[in-house]
Amino acid sequence: MAAVLTEPYGTATLLLVLGALIACSALLSRHIDRLGVPIVLLFLVLGMLGGSEAAGGITFADYHAAVRVGTIYLVLILLDGGMNAPWQAVRHFIAPAAALATAGVVLTAGFIAVFSRLLGLPWTEALLLGAVVSSTDAAAVLAVLRGGRLRLQPSVGTTLEVESCINDPMAVILTVTMIDVATSTTALRWSLLATVPLQLAVGATVGALLGYVGLHLVRKVYLPTVGLYPALTLAIAFLSFGAATLLEGSGLMSVYFTAIVLGNSPLPYRSGLIRVHESLAWLSQIALFLMLGLLVFPSKLPAVAGTGLAIALFLAFVARPLAVVLCLLPFRFSLREILYMSWIGLRGAVPIILGAFPVIAQVPGAERVFNIVFFIVVVSTLLPGATIRQVTRWLRLAVPESPAPSAILEINSAHPLNAEIASFLIDPAASVCDVLLSEIGLPPDASVMLVVRGNDLIAPRGRTRLLAGDHAYVFFRAADRVYVQLLFGRRESN
Amino acid sequence: MKFADFICSEAILAQLDAQDKESTIREMVQALCRAGKVENEEFESIVKAILKREELGSTGIGRGVAVPHTKHPSVNRLVGTVAVSPQGVDFASLDGEPVHLFFLLISPPDRPGDHLRALENISRQLRDDTFCRFLKQSKSVEDIKTVLMEADNNQFGS
Repeated sequence: MAAVLTEPYGTATLLLVLGALIACSALLSRHIDRLGVPIVLLFLVLGMLGGSEAAGGITFADYHAAVRVGTIYLVLILLDGGMNAPWQAVRHFIAPAAALATAGVVLTAGFIAVFSRLLGLPWTEALLLGAVVSSTDAAAVLAVLRGGRLRLQPSVGTTLEVESCINDPMAVILTVTMIDVATSTTALRWSLLATVPLQLAVGATVGALLGYVGLHLVRKVYLPTVGLYPALTLAIAFLSFGAATLLEGSGLMSVYFTAIVLGNSPLPYRSGLIRVHESLAWLSQIALFLMLGLLVFPSKLPAVAGTGLAIALFLAFVARPLAVVLCLLPFRFSLREILYMSWIGLRGAVPIILGAFPVIAQVPGAERVFNIVFFIVVVSTLLPGATIRQVTRWLRLAVPESPAPSAILEINSAHPLNAEIASFLIDPAASVCDVLLSEIGLPPDASVMLVVRGNDLIAPRGRTRLLAGDHAYVFFRAADRVYVQLLFGRRESN
Repeated sequence: MKFADFICSEAILAQLDAQDKESTIREMVQALCRAGKVENEEFESIVKAILKREELGSTGIGRGVAVPHTKHPSVNRLVGTVAVSPQGVDFASLDGEPVHLFFLLISPPDRPGDHLRALENISRQLRDDTFCRFLKQSKSVEDIKTVLMEADNNQFGS
């Protein structure tokens, strides 16, 4: 529809439809989330509705563009994911996450391939399908775990997040190898599998290196306007992806590590910077899944519905749990944690993007594989996504959620500072609960700056008593951080 | 406030057996029970209260030190003890390192001033590397008592 209109009406119509789709995605997300449906699925369905076979009338079947643009969106999502990942937790759970991201991906691919063959698919398609859907998806995992305002115990939350952020190289390599198998135009590159550890190592090294170089740059240069700082961090992420990929490393993993280095260090205008990247990540989630929805033609789905559904259910109930159990046995996880991670095997953008690879390579049967992949993604996002709250409660893996303060007080500065402001939710178990401020022996350079009690903002005085449920904003020097946390408990993240 | 004002010498443990957070807290509270500073029937309730405080964020403050503490109505004055774990305990501390040195405090809810002054004193002393090193190297209860007494007499740097 848009293509036949002359300019500027063609562009105007396109923006009108895209605007309506993005607005619907943003506005409906809260209601959809309440119904227990992962919001990325909403974006995907809205994308399908915007396509040429539905109301939107946008024709989009450019798989090359989808792969390229989709990768850029993934970089933006991983940048935000990494910036918000506490390094302590990542370091603690990187070994089990790496096992899931390598052996787990191969096992899942193998199980799916064998099952698909049993369903009657030729070996080439079965192997391709296994490779394409073998990895969990960072976009979906981050959207469901963080977007759903779930607070999970780090053992499962961090392991699942890190797994999804570093398992793409294995899935990409498997897919490329299987395309070789299917086309047989070149010698089989099974040896590629041996390069997985190298890709991961290069990705992590380049990522960390560029993270530190970028951090130095961001902290040393003085930019004329605040708005340029997020542009610089974005540039660092793009450089990280590009450099790592050109050096035969994993670009996505590199971005994740760059983001972890940046996010776990003092940054100029830190809170504003983090919020800009959070917004970019959300916009990327919406745009990515809308685009992938546009790429799907609903008329082609009924033909593969039975096969797709069967494989999706096999993945959710057999392949993923089996792979997770085998990978996590050497680690000290409880049965509850293993069960949980078996169930939360969210697929999303990456399998759809990988599904486009064989279509681009013109592998016979690639379009059928692509449509089956779409089914698998929908089911394996819907099933765990819709049940995640109940399962989290049932397996007792949630961390109690703290109410957010009604106001936020923060320091914004272009330069690294020797002091900070942090907010603490006053819990009855904290030493300072039900205590007059004058009784708290704060260090000489520390002070309680503001108390937020419900919607009341209280100017702290010596006679102010901290009550359970208050949010206290405390100013302190870096050297006193530990003592302040001993008194007030864990700081809130705003 | 000095260590002598709240550390119960009879409850000091120079060789902590525990290997995880909960059993460390249990062993230390048990020592206070044996010393008669805490009622036996309050044991579980106190352990639960200390663990509840740990949920707010570990009191493992880094450099191999932890200060588990709580306010509890069963005590009528501030009581505390010290324990040294030669092998180290995974206490989910802020720097991720195992903890070798523990200060445990229990105070009555109606006297928060004492509780806060004790925490302040412990934190101030712990900034001194020599104090921490001497305590961690202590092999007996007598060694620990000596180091605490020297700290009370301002014989360390801070």
